[in-house]
Amino acid sequence: MAEEKEKILQIRDLDITIHTAAGSVHAIQGVDMDLIRGETAAIVGESGSGKSITMKAVMGILAGNASVKGSIEFCCYHEDGRREKVDILKQDKKWIRKHMNGKQIAMVFQDPMTSLDPTMSIGKQVMEGMIWHFKMPKKEAWNRGVRLLEEVGIDDAQKRMKQYPHQLSGGQKQRVAIAIALACNPELLICDEPTTALDVTIQARILELVQRIQKERGLSVIYITHDLGVVAKVADYVNVMYAGKIVEKGRADEIFFDPRHPYTWGLLSATPDMNGMDRRLDPIPGSPPDLLHECAGDAFSPRNPYALVIDDKMAPPMFQITDTHFAATWLLDPRAPKVEMPKELKARLNRMRKEAREYGSKL
Amino acid sequence: MAVNYSLKPLLKVEGLKQYFHVHPGGAVNQHRPANECTAINETRCVDFGIPGLRMPIRQQTVTVKAVEDVSFEIYPGETYGLVGESGSGKTTIGRSIIRLYNPTGGKIWFNGLDISRQMDKDTKKFLRTQMQMIFQDPMASLNPRKRAGRIIREGLEIHHSCRSRAERDARVGEILAKVGLTMEHGYRYPHQFSGGQRQRVGIARALIMNPQLIIADECLSALDVSIQAQVVNLMKDIQEETKTAYLFIAHDLSMVKYISHRIGVLHQGHLLETGTAEEIFEDPIHPYTKSLLSAIPVLNPVVAKKRIWKSYDKKTLGIDYSKGSYHLIGGMHYVKCTEDEFNRWT
Amino acid sequence: MKRRKPNRCKTILEAEAYVPADSDFRLKDNREEMVPDASFTVQSVWLDAAKGYVQKASAVIGLVFIILIGIMAAAGPGMNAYTYSEQYLSQKNFAPRVRVLENFGIFDGGEVLKTGAGTKVVNRYKEKNLENVYYWFGSDNFGRDIWTRTWLGTRVSLIIAVAATVIDMVIGMSYGLISGYFGGWVDMVMQRFLEIANGIPRLVVVTLLLMALEPGMLTVMLALMLTEWMGMSRIARAEMLKLKEQEFVLASRTLGAGCFFIIFREILPNIMGPIITQVMFSIPTAIFTEAFLSFAGLGIPVPQCSLGSLIAEGFNSFTAHPYQIIPPIAVMALLMLSFNLAADGLLKALDPKRKEV
Repeated sequence: MAEEKEKILQIRDLDITIHTAAGSVHAIQGVDMDLIRGETAAIVGESGSGKSITMKAVMGILAGNASVKGSIEFCCYHEDGRREKVDILKQDKKWIRKHMNGKQIAMVFQDPMTSLDPTMSIGKQVMEGMIWHFKMPKKEAWNRGVRLLEEVGIDDAQKRMKQYPHQLSGGQKQRVAIAIALACNPELLICDEPTTALDVTIQARILELVQRIQKERGLSVIYITHDLGVVAKVADYVNVMYAGKIVEKGRADEIFFDPRHPYTWGLLSATPDMNGMDRRLDPIPGSPPDLLHECAGDAFSPRNPYALVIDDKMAPPMFQITDTHFAATWLLDPRAPKVEMPKELKARLNRMRKEAREYGSKL
Repeated sequence: MAVNYSLKPLLKVEGLKQYFHVHPGGAVNQHRPANECTAINETRCVDFGIPGLRMPIRQQTVTVKAVEDVSFEIYPGETYGLVGESGSGKTTIGRSIIRLYNPTGGKIWFNGLDISRQMDKDTKKFLRTQMQMIFQDPMASLNPRKRAGRIIREGLEIHHSCRSRAERDARVGEILAKVGLTMEHGYRYPHQFSGGQRQRVGIARALIMNPQLIIADECLSALDVSIQAQVVNLMKDIQEETKTAYLFIAHDLSMVKYISHRIGVLHQGHLLETGTAEEIFEDPIHPYTKSLLSAIPVLNPVVAKKRIWKSYDKKTLGIDYSKGSYHLIGGMHYVKCTEDEFNRWT
Repeated sequence: MKRRKPNRCKTILEAEAYVPADSDFRLKDNREEMVPDASFTVQSVWLDAAKGYVQKASAVIGLVFIILIGIMAAAGPGMNAYTYSEQYLSQKNFAPRVRVLENFGIFDGGEVLKTGAGTKVVNRYKEKNLENVYYWFGSDNFGRDIWTRTWLGTRVSLIIAVAATVIDMVIGMSYGLISGYFGGWVDMVMQRFLEIANGIPRLVVVTLLLMALEPGMLTVMLALMLTEWMGMSRIARAEMLKLKEQEFVLASRTLGAGCFFIIFREILPNIMGPIITQVMFSIPTAIFTEAFLSFAGLGIPVPQCSLGSLIAEGFNSFTAHPYQIIPPIAVMALLMLSFNLAADGLLKALDPKRKEV
């Protein structure tokens, strides 16, 4: 059991400030996050909530004007089976590039048009990592490249190796990007909005592809996305992020069937639902705060219809709901008034529960 | 809001065709959106017999058939959702209708006026004021060097619609309020807005001419899901108030459901199925529509993990779009297919 | 919660010590306050660029020197009683002499002459008993004040270079914008014309022109204009091709804007950055070209002068009287360097791809 629950990634008190010409942006404010080996976590949030920056910190690719505090512990295995815990923030960039990037942690980016080098053939880009990290002979790298392309579902892989990115469609490019990420057998795959630039039909296929590969290889995956639909499909564990903080986290069924934070309620209400024909969505009012101007208390309070007076005076701590489910909202304080989630959302969640039961869930 | 379908259609598109001739080297004879490469052009390689030395040679001119024989109507005050994946020609249709392109074939009537050919001055003015567009990328569609107020009032300036500066400013203020912004926002530059606010400015620019039809070209796809709902609600409220019709172009059915009265499903330049939102969602006929519907992400983690996407391949199903004709299913629900397919699917 | 926070956050730190009272746990009921959008960063594009510019020390130094040289070019010739053309043949080849500095043994009017017999120090002011005569940069072969002539030459060079470049900009930019916007056969014809014009060697054009026309400031300007606009038009065209498919241009077209409205009111403001940068890079080129022409004797007619003609004059007596060539060369080198530094800073400051987060 203990072996099963081994944490591959453990982020503690991550705090990132980015210094810009316009002032300092306190982009990440004390983030804790865990990922269990072989599982999938998702970070959900609006743009500007800091979800990409967190993962950039994990990859060690933050820009030079950022100052970071806290720890990011990554648990990796050496080739001889030795286990080692590494604090990524304590290593220098060169070391990370040599031992981590690609080999242990790989990333798939949002836009396959820009993440592939247009002047390099597909084959070269797939082989690059293997040749650099493993000093693999070219011939062998080529064969492995072909196998990888086949694995990600690209037909005619031999031919494709010689082609250039502009000769592929968007979905194929994203598949190639995944193949590149997988080339050095990473333990952890980070997908930064892997499907937002793609059509829905291709989106479904890419997600299913990543799921399949994850199962086959026993990968751990982190998704960064703003779309709860994607989260529902892939994630075991969900972290809801707002203004540089995690406001609610828990297992997927906890977040989707029993959300506690008003922001999660808002996100769920704003996401379109295919069943039921209600004609109106209930969006979160306003737009995400600008982190240049920090304010006391809960950053979500100006957009929160359930804000309490205390929210403006003091930021809420994390309240524990179950072993795995946490939320940072004063509404969970015993002194708080009893506030129910919006009626429409409640009806919707009930419907979802019923649906889940039909699908054989024990909820 | 109910739409009166007995009225004369506001926009009537009949047999619209839009081809592009692509020259080698990427130069295009018409302004063609880069994202709509239906890539019929083949790149052949000439092998010189020396390993590694291969020269791609493109064929001289290639015709890209972006839109093939598309017909539909939009009624006053209606929202027509046009759905299809990239390369299906949906953006092209929008741009042909608003005459950013010259249609290759077919007819377009707007309020009874033929706008598919060379237009006279009055028709042109009518088109340019009464039909407006909201664009996909809220950042790219606003001039980065202009303040929001100037962007919004551009239409008034071009058509000299206001007699005085005060009248014009009053009008801009009114529109800003309508899209949920304040006068103060008018003095900002586009990069000083958040994504959702930018799209509001885009909507304000389209609204200022009081148009009868607004073409919304994937106006949500660049926004976060939570902001998408805001914009959809805003557009619905505006429709409620001004009775504007929308042609709502999207690549995914999920948001379309919340705004459209009728939906058209587009694939590779052909309009495959059209009907009211209920008809499309509850009784899809065409396998492509079914495939699209199954690709919509569901919010339920239990269901989402178990559900599999229905793949669709035109070739294995043996469907040839150009052979099909429109068959009525019932109500306003049509499907483009052959007699044989019709019998099989229904 | 032990993290250190920036000063701004003092309120939060204090708040953490705050013990919530029961009265704090009630709904705020802020539905009224939830206007769709609260504040967002407000910073003007140009202010932003200016900030970026100021951060680069070399760019600021460049700008300071440009301004200083500009002021001297305007005011320098009037700072003493000499004029640029007045000749005092009795006061030829006087070495620099400055009032206060002469007491320290420098700029005292003495110069070292090398003769066959050895070196000796000559002070012509003392020889001729001219107690109250001061040539700050010395005097030239005809007894003209080099100070006055240097700054006047700077003024002429600057005027020629700046005016020619600005006119270039207008011509080249319009040409490029129109060619790029209309595309098709218009672009074809305009680009072929440009290629032909560009194919004729620059020096040939300039030489022919200067021989055909009266030499003078206007002629040099014309010569520079005729040869320099092509680079500018290329940049304008490239920018236009990049921008014309942008959605904001399409938006303008759907509003019924005319071609020239779109070109000059929609697109032009967006390419001002690269164009201004290009202008700043072109000015030193123009200064140098003008100097080269004058040096070759094709520029400004005597007794007028520009930096180039001054250098040419000084060059003749370079071995005997090196002080005559130093001022114009120093000014020109400084000017070119400053413009390049300033342009480089602008390039960085106006770069839209400059990202920080």
